[in-house]
Amino acid sequence: MLARLNDIDRMFGTMGFLHNRLDHFFHDSENDWGCETGCRPKNNGPRTNFYDHGDAYEVSAEVPGLAKEDLDVKVQGNTLEISGSRQSDTPEGYSTHRNERGVHSFSRSFTLPADINAEKVVANLGDGILTLTLPKAEVAKARQITIA
Amino acid sequence: MTKKNDLPERDQNNSGMGGRVMKLAPAVDIYENEEEILLHADLPGVARTDISIEIDDGKLSVSGQRKLTGNGALISSEFTSAEFTRTFSISKEIDVEKINATLELGVLKLHLPKSASARPRKIEIQSASNSVH
Repeated sequence: MLARLNDIDRMFGTMGFLHNRLDHFFHDSENDWGCETGCRPKNNGPRTNFYDHGDAYEVSAEVPGLAKEDLDVKVQGNTLEISGSRQSDTPEGYSTHRNERGVHSFSRSFTLPADINAEKVVANLGDGILTLTLPKAEVAKARQITIA
Repeated sequence: MTKKNDLPERDQNNSGMGGRVMKLAPAVDIYENEEEILLHADLPGVARTDISIEIDDGKLSVSGQRKLTGNGALISSEFTSAEFTRTFSISKEIDVEKINATLELGVLKLHLPKSASARPRKIEIQSASNSVH
């Protein structure tokens, strides 16, 4: 059991190291990684992945148990804020043996490398994953320059 | 439910980093009433068809494959494709035929009805006044 915990600890250490290396590409403005709490972002924020598709960013976040009414997404300039709260789904008349999932609310904000065209953001929720497509603002897009 | 087997069983051929797919233990809530045991498990990103539930010899195994299909350049990653897997010991007898599972918003809700013999039965106490003296 002890050896297993050490393994896990080492794994989190590696993940923390990798995340630090990524820091200069992508800055998570409010929530530093809290590896002491199991490498979940602090503030119970959801784990997220960021992709760059050239003309848009794609953000996906783990939000199991949250309906779209429980989620709030805000974009302004190059900041993205995802907040939400998970409602209790504890059934009535049952005794509880184990409660790991919890009820919580979170707010997590991110600074993106470029401005976002807030008008054209698309959000989808499926199987507990929130996926946001965030088109870059015109000025932020790479442009092919023809040499005269 | 006993604590002994609550941790996911480790695949000996796939220990540590560098394995094919990361194995994760899903967070669960477990409830019980007189009729059933109810298990809620967080399985974000797992499709209904990629979940398997097995009961054998007093052990309940729940597993689900998460297949991420993100394309584009990855800027930052906090979760990956993974196999969620967890095994529980069940001390009560379960009516396997009547197990019912739903998946909604990435949460698996598994109803495990107790077999009739495992349910508590109310015993009527006979009145002593009718007995022959």
